[in-house]
Amino acid sequence: MLKLLVKKQLMEVFRAYFYNSKKNTSRSKAGIIVMFGGFIIIMAGVLGGTFAFLAFNLCAPLVEAGIDWLYFAVMGLLGIFLGVFGSVFNTFSTLYLAKDNDFLLSMPIPVKDIMVSRLINVYLLSLMYSIVVLLPSVIVYWITVPVTPTVILGGIVLLILIPLFVTLLSCLLGWCVAKVSLRLKNKSLITVLLSLAFFAAYYFLYFKAQGLLSDVIANAAVYGENIKGAAYGIYLFGRIGTGDLVAILLFTVVILALTAAVWMLLQKTFLSISTATGAVKKTVYHEKTAQQKTPGRALLGREITHFLSNPNYMLNCGLGIILLPALGIFMLIKGRELVEALESVFSFGAGVTTILICVALCMVVSMNDMVVPSVSLEGKSIWLAQSLPVRPWQVLKSKLMMQLLLTGIPLLFALVCVFGMIPDGVPVRILAVVFCLVNLLLLSLFGLFLGLKFANVKWTNEITPIKQGMAVLIIIFGSWIYCAAIAGLYLWQGYKIGPAAYLGILIALDGLFCVGLYLWLRRQGCRKFAEL
Amino acid sequence: MLKIEHLTKSFGAKKAVDDLTLHIAPGEIYGFIGHNGAGKTTTLRSVAGIQQFDEGEIRINGRSIRTEPLECKREMAYIPDNPDLYEYMSGIKFLNFIADIFGVSPQERKDRIHDYAERFELTADLAQPIAAYSHGMKQKLAIISAWIHRPKLILMDEPFVGLDPKAAHLLKEMMREVCDQGGAIFFSTHVLEVAEKLCDKVAIIKQGQLIRSGTMEEVKGDDSLEEVFLELEEDSSEE
Repeated sequence: MLKLLVKKQLMEVFRAYFYNSKKNTSRSKAGIIVMFGGFIIIMAGVLGGTFAFLAFNLCAPLVEAGIDWLYFAVMGLLGIFLGVFGSVFNTFSTLYLAKDNDFLLSMPIPVKDIMVSRLINVYLLSLMYSIVVLLPSVIVYWITVPVTPTVILGGIVLLILIPLFVTLLSCLLGWCVAKVSLRLKNKSLITVLLSLAFFAAYYFLYFKAQGLLSDVIANAAVYGENIKGAAYGIYLFGRIGTGDLVAILLFTVVILALTAAVWMLLQKTFLSISTATGAVKKTVYHEKTAQQKTPGRALLGREITHFLSNPNYMLNCGLGIILLPALGIFMLIKGRELVEALESVFSFGAGVTTILICVALCMVVSMNDMVVPSVSLEGKSIWLAQSLPVRPWQVLKSKLMMQLLLTGIPLLFALVCVFGMIPDGVPVRILAVVFCLVNLLLLSLFGLFLGLKFANVKWTNEITPIKQGMAVLIIIFGSWIYCAAIAGLYLWQGYKIGPAAYLGILIALDGLFCVGLYLWLRRQGCRKFAEL
Repeated sequence: MLKIEHLTKSFGAKKAVDDLTLHIAPGEIYGFIGHNGAGKTTTLRSVAGIQQFDEGEIRINGRSIRTEPLECKREMAYIPDNPDLYEYMSGIKFLNFIADIFGVSPQERKDRIHDYAERFELTADLAQPIAAYSHGMKQKLAIISAWIHRPKLILMDEPFVGLDPKAAHLLKEMMREVCDQGGAIFFSTHVLEVAEKLCDKVAIIKQGQLIRSGTMEEVKGDDSLEEVFLELEEDSSEE
């Protein structure tokens, strides 16, 4: 039974890998291998590569200083942070909001089997995020020091138990969200605010960690002694990877005990939370004359209502709405110092700072990808958009407009703040503004293209299209790679032609891609939407 | 009002609808009967402009659903077998959204929402999110949204499922009102007693093919519709 449920969960998560929605058929074996190959390249190649680079820089100095436990403590904590960051927001919905909860509970399936299958889903997601830090860390360590059986055992324990620890943390946080949300009226808003506080804390620690890591390498011995004296738990945690049997045993026992405690808590409350309807006071209806909207405005309003109704949607696809103005304000306060610092570092080429500012803005813009899952989020109610007297393009345009409005307005604010900081003449500044806006258009059109290409309206949990779809994965990593390429190309050769020509070429290229994508959306895209 | 000519739709090798021809005139309540998987939903979805079909033609008041989909859709309303509505909206927001799409004026929509919501006893729940509605409440909301722009043709797939007896009775009254005003209703049902009492005409479909159609008297004669339906099912199984 459990095997069946786990298979169902995994089939749902990886549906796009097995099923070709375009042809309405199962993928061939070769197709499945290609899909999984692409996924592994992104996770192992891009993310894993970044952390392997960090591990190489950190491991040797700390091993030489005889405090290799500190290496594992740092990398382990990074793994925990990344894992919690990646899985905490979907644990609540995976456990308690899955649309097939009622269906499964009505069947002769033990409740614990349903819970275990959901938890395995959370564990695999935690594993996916934390392993990109942990696996390179362990391998780099095994390359750096002589490998003994206890060192191998320590590495394996870390690889298995840290994702389990992440799962436990995510479950506890998910349980807290579930308990609180049963009593809240404006659940979406409060969930978003709480989550943003979490994000703020996360990024604060993340940015502090950058400086701290450099400091740790420079003063390894001092830090080692201080942590060992003040936080013995972290010392022991770090000792696991080095093959300390006592630390391995203690960590395993603690994690197993925590697992048992969390399991008991979830088992006691799962049924009541997942079947609760909440005791929120009923909203009273007051009859009034509504303002008439055009179909276009009504469709746009529908998209924005959907976006604002779902904390998962807002948090996973709309962080840029807050971060763009935050970046603008940051630049107003610290911009001058930052620009001066960048100018002195990149003094070899004119316009590097301008390009880097554009890249920074584009990276934050890419955190808004609400258009990508918007097609799949139509879900079972897609019959409405298809049966109403509106053209497919009107529906698609409303999705595009949502992305452009919710990102364009914060972007314009950030551009106004940054405009004066750009250390080049007014023509280059104007080109920078145009480039950022064209890039937003490209991201939006490309997002809609991906949303249609990988459309999946047969989900049982909204988190599937929001977070676990191939389209979302491609847009996130694709835009990061694109931004990195723009900066890298300029630093490599682009500075020779100057920022104006470079930005001009980019605008022209982006514009061409926009035209191509627009034409595809108007023809094949509309057809695809009508046939979903 | 509605002309379905030689409609054919296949899913892979299976023909869901096979050369189906049906004509529905203004003022008619037309029942569509068949076993599960007979092709009723595919036919209704094709007429509603949701399902693309392989061959044939569907015309609503002389307009083709293929070439003039928007004009056709403006004159009709469709209610599926499972009312999957926008759960992130409140009932009133959903009704206003539908009214906006059909260009219903503010005063007209206010009056109609007031009227239908009162009749279905849904007024008090209109401010609630649709996600909090029961199946029956969603069905009532779907019915109100279908009626809000006064369509000439209403397509319904199993409209009585989930409705309480009072709401089911009210829906039958509303269906008759539409037809009395020159509109037409085309709906599928498994409740043969309802079809027998309510419909002016009926069509029986099996494995995508129309096996009998006409006025209620022509189809059933002196027998009950249930007897005729079961007899036809057996006959075509033997063939």
